Amino acid sequence: MPISMGLPPARVLRDRARILAALRGWMQHNGFLEVQVPIAVQSGALEEYLEPLPLGELQLHTSPEFALKRVLSIGLGRIYWMGPCFRAEELGPHHGTEFTMLEWYRIGCGYQGIAEDLLALLACIASSLGQTLPDVERLTWNEALHRHARVAIPSDPDEQMRVWVNDVEPQLQSPTLVIDYPARDAAFSTIRGQVAERFEFYWQGVELANAFTELLDPQELRARWAASAATRQAMGRAPHPEDERLVQAVASHPYAGGIALGVDRLVMLLLGLENIHQARIQA
Amino acid sequence: MATYSTSEFKNGIKILVDNQPFQMVYFQFVKPGKGTAFTRTKLKSLINGSVIERTFRSGEKVEIADCEEVTMQYMYQDGDMYNFMNMESYDQLAIPENIMEYELKWLLEGMEVEVMMYNARPVGISLPHFVDAEITYTEPGIKGNTATGASKPATVANGAVVQVPLFIEQGEVIKCDTREGGKYMNRSKE
Repeated sequence: MPISMGLPPARVLRDRARILAALRGWMQHNGFLEVQVPIAVQSGALEEYLEPLPLGELQLHTSPEFALKRVLSIGLGRIYWMGPCFRAEELGPHHGTEFTMLEWYRIGCGYQGIAEDLLALLACIASSLGQTLPDVERLTWNEALHRHARVAIPSDPDEQMRVWVNDVEPQLQSPTLVIDYPARDAAFSTIRGQVAERFEFYWQGVELANAFTELLDPQELRARWAASAATRQAMGRAPHPEDERLVQAVASHPYAGGIALGVDRLVMLLLGLENIHQARIQA
Repeated sequence: MATYSTSEFKNGIKILVDNQPFQMVYFQFVKPGKGTAFTRTKLKSLINGSVIERTFRSGEKVEIADCEEVTMQYMYQDGDMYNFMNMESYDQLAIPENIMEYELKWLLEGMEVEVMMYNARPVGISLPHFVDAEITYTEPGIKGNTATGASKPATVANGAVVQVPLFIEQGEVIKCDTREGGKYMNRSKE
């Protein structure tokens, strides 16, 4: 048996490089400033189901959002970062301990403006490979759940999530913007009535990107951190440390939208690979 | 109660779902946007072979099914019961007809099969992958007809019906693949 080199074929690395260059090219062309963020951070996450990897006294970031959101407060209107993120306890065809993320923010627009960015970006990336992006459908989270659920929709949020995983996600094959999530799943987004101003972009049954109209209320952010800490303690997990500098930064945030896109997943979908691990050099 | 956690899932493990034993044949980690993680699985019933889909929340505990496969030789039929012998201990075991619907048609005296035991009771049997079976009935072949791909039904073994090439005659022994519904492989070399 030959020893596996842990490498994708050369053509995958070539096409991956083409995609990365097109992503950076679109960002530059549209006036987005590349900001380098620290990978080792004091607080790695807000959400209760994210597990940061420890690195000495610090943690590896699960996304660049804390640092980028802090940068938003000093008036840079269009910023982005692309690089590695780390999440423990996540391993599957579309998950890895290390993966590549592209995240960007734009001042002066909410999640709808970010959706326009995303669709323009994806069309540009697809054309760099000689492909075209199929028509995109917009559905609210509630519409998607009711359209695709094969069972009576349970009232328990965790059980609704099970229906989402079983019934809804596999049906989101054509490009779909799922907008307006339940307020309980707001994370860093602004809440409008019963819904969070948040969207996820699905394609071929895979969640490719997650976007918010950014939360502008520091007290609300503190409350969400406290709620996350309580949930984690109930699960027997250490709470994520609150990032005080981020809370301070949110107090002076302009109206803005932001989005994170899974680059390995994008490469996987565009190249027709079976999993994200085929799109990367193995650790 | 011995259990597996979702992080210990792998293909081949045997678990209890709704008090029935299943073998895991597929599993996939999934994690929607902001929520808890799940593991999607496909589970094959150890009782009737049907495949179901189940999704477990991360951290959920699933009871291990206490199952083992025992090699036994089929001896004889007695009404609705089929008698097998464990060739190591010489213990005999009577297995009811209703747990062997498909397998029954292939069962021949002296055949060694794998009997799946769950809680010390038989819940199913696995046939050898390849079975040499005598054709008990088939229409005579038409002499000189060598059309490629042409076939006819033939009854073999204990009543199974398979498609065979036109040149195969009644009384011949053929090799069949029981995993593919008894697909004809070739004439047995005897």
